[in-house]
Amino acid sequence: MQTAESHTLLVRISIAAAVVTAFLLPLWLHAGWISLITEMLILSIAACGYNLMMGYGGMVSFGPAGQYALGAYTTGVLLVKTNIPFALAMTAGPVCAALLSIVIGWFCVRRTEVYFSLLTLAFAQIVYTVIQKWYGFTGGDDGLVGIRVPEILSGIDKYYFFTVLVALFCLFVMWKMINSPFGKMIQGIRENPRRAEFISLNVKRYQLGIFVTSAFFLGVAGSLYSGFNGSIFPANIDVAKSTDIIVVCLMGGMHHFLGPVLGSIAYILINKIIANYTQYWALVLGIIIIGLVLYAQGGIAGFISERYSALRREA
Amino acid sequence: MNLQLAVMQLLNGLGSGMIIFLVAIGLSIIFGTLKVLNLAHAAIYMLGAYLCFWLSQIVLAHFPGNFWLVIFLAPLGTALIGALVEIFIIRRIYGQDLMYQFILTFGLSLVIADLVKLCWGMEVHYVPIPWPFQGSVPVLGAYLLKYQLFLYMAGTSVFAGLLLLMNYTKLGMLIRAVTYHRDMANALGINVPKVYTGVFMLGSCLAGFGGVAAAPVTSITLGMDHIVLVQCFIVVVIGGMGSITGAFLGSIILGLLNSFGILYLPQLALVFGFVLMAIILIARPYGLMGEPMEAEEKL
Repeated sequence: MQTAESHTLLVRISIAAAVVTAFLLPLWLHAGWISLITEMLILSIAACGYNLMMGYGGMVSFGPAGQYALGAYTTGVLLVKTNIPFALAMTAGPVCAALLSIVIGWFCVRRTEVYFSLLTLAFAQIVYTVIQKWYGFTGGDDGLVGIRVPEILSGIDKYYFFTVLVALFCLFVMWKMINSPFGKMIQGIRENPRRAEFISLNVKRYQLGIFVTSAFFLGVAGSLYSGFNGSIFPANIDVAKSTDIIVVCLMGGMHHFLGPVLGSIAYILINKIIANYTQYWALVLGIIIIGLVLYAQGGIAGFISERYSALRREA
Repeated sequence: MNLQLAVMQLLNGLGSGMIIFLVAIGLSIIFGTLKVLNLAHAAIYMLGAYLCFWLSQIVLAHFPGNFWLVIFLAPLGTALIGALVEIFIIRRIYGQDLMYQFILTFGLSLVIADLVKLCWGMEVHYVPIPWPFQGSVPVLGAYLLKYQLFLYMAGTSVFAGLLLLMNYTKLGMLIRAVTYHRDMANALGINVPKVYTGVFMLGSCLAGFGGVAAAPVTSITLGMDHIVLVQCFIVVVIGGMGSITGAFLGSIILGLLNSFGILYLPQLALVFGFVLMAIILIARPYGLMGEPMEAEEKL
């Protein structure tokens, strides 16, 4: 018992230390790095949100970029074309992503396995094509530029603090959610949908629930990104965004809550570092991915927790 | 819309449908037998097109009739690469979570695409239309590229060949046996891993062939695989995973949908395919020609 308590204590202390460091970082770091870390945080929210569905729900979606796009473009369009307050536009993004995902998800959860994946891909592509072609509303290929950010958040440091706060809040809510009865049922359904049905769970309804929740957090990430970037283009929300999010989950470890966070830190770092040395970044990434799938399916978090429990056994 | 234009779109749609068919059928066969959705399939198609350019324009540039030699050599090359990929990489993840298959084959597609970039650079390449298919013929007042005739022939003969192979040969019987019940086939003494390698090679060979067939009518460039991959998904979903006839029908439907869609609603032409795919997945997930598979029940 004592070791378990000291273990949770250790985890809590390290999380608290990470949070304090996150707030102090702008004191030491160059603005370029701060913007990089902001990107990491936004990707973390998206990947953690996606992981609710993929890691905890066992539903492999091919189209997280669709929900991300709904959030990003709702916020973007509202801030460029109307005069509504920033906070309202930021909330509208995720809400809109979640509402549309009720409709999309209602169809998707009726399919399983590869058919679920392909259906989510189809919907994400429909969203992408509509955004890319609807010049009058979304700016089409020219994108949406001049997304206004209020005085209080302009400047990379201020936006960074805002992102940290939102990310912490989102992670906290997601953590509570997966440890709630709802979260436990979702994990039960992942392990065995049939048995879950036998104990009279409405499997489809729970899956729709996690689909919409995941869409909400993907939407949050999208909205944050459009504010961060000040502009948004179809290239930010295409299939590559989906694969980014999926790869981040794998790299960090999808069976740990903070896995996707570690994954996004590693992914963006590797991306920036390799891109400095070679134009063959995709080749290196591909080799890393293949290596991960063949030799380290637990990802970074899986590796750390393995080492950690080995250490504890020895002690 | 006048008749001339309609005929034109019909014939062109059929031609592009044939190219999609050549690529999609490989994806469909691989999925049907190996139960792996190979995201690297379109990258192999791209490799086929680049091999076609490289062999016919550089290596065998002064050889008469080089295209017709390349049409055998390039698919052979992609088949060999397919064999290596299956034996050293894909084989390790059979039966594993869907997620890992997706990610692994996605990683493979990145590697193949970047190796293509490494070998042939970022320029756009072209392959001229080979003898004797240059020029066009008048059909009902419209002009049809003669090369389209070759595409029709290639598509239908691959279709017929595969039907014959699957239904009337020993090899086809083996493949069907492994597809239908892998463990039972194994127990009966069929070398399942060998059949898997063979099917993967066949699929990669067809993807390479599709690449060669497409080379004279498309610009050979990096990224040419992305659009083809999603088109292949649409086709196998419309037709039904693993169904040859389904893939053929699906390709024709998609080809026509694209060519007529561009005519009527150019803005949304690309959406039609996805909408059709979503409708089929919602209403009839096993596709037009597929059969509902009874999922293995896990209790």
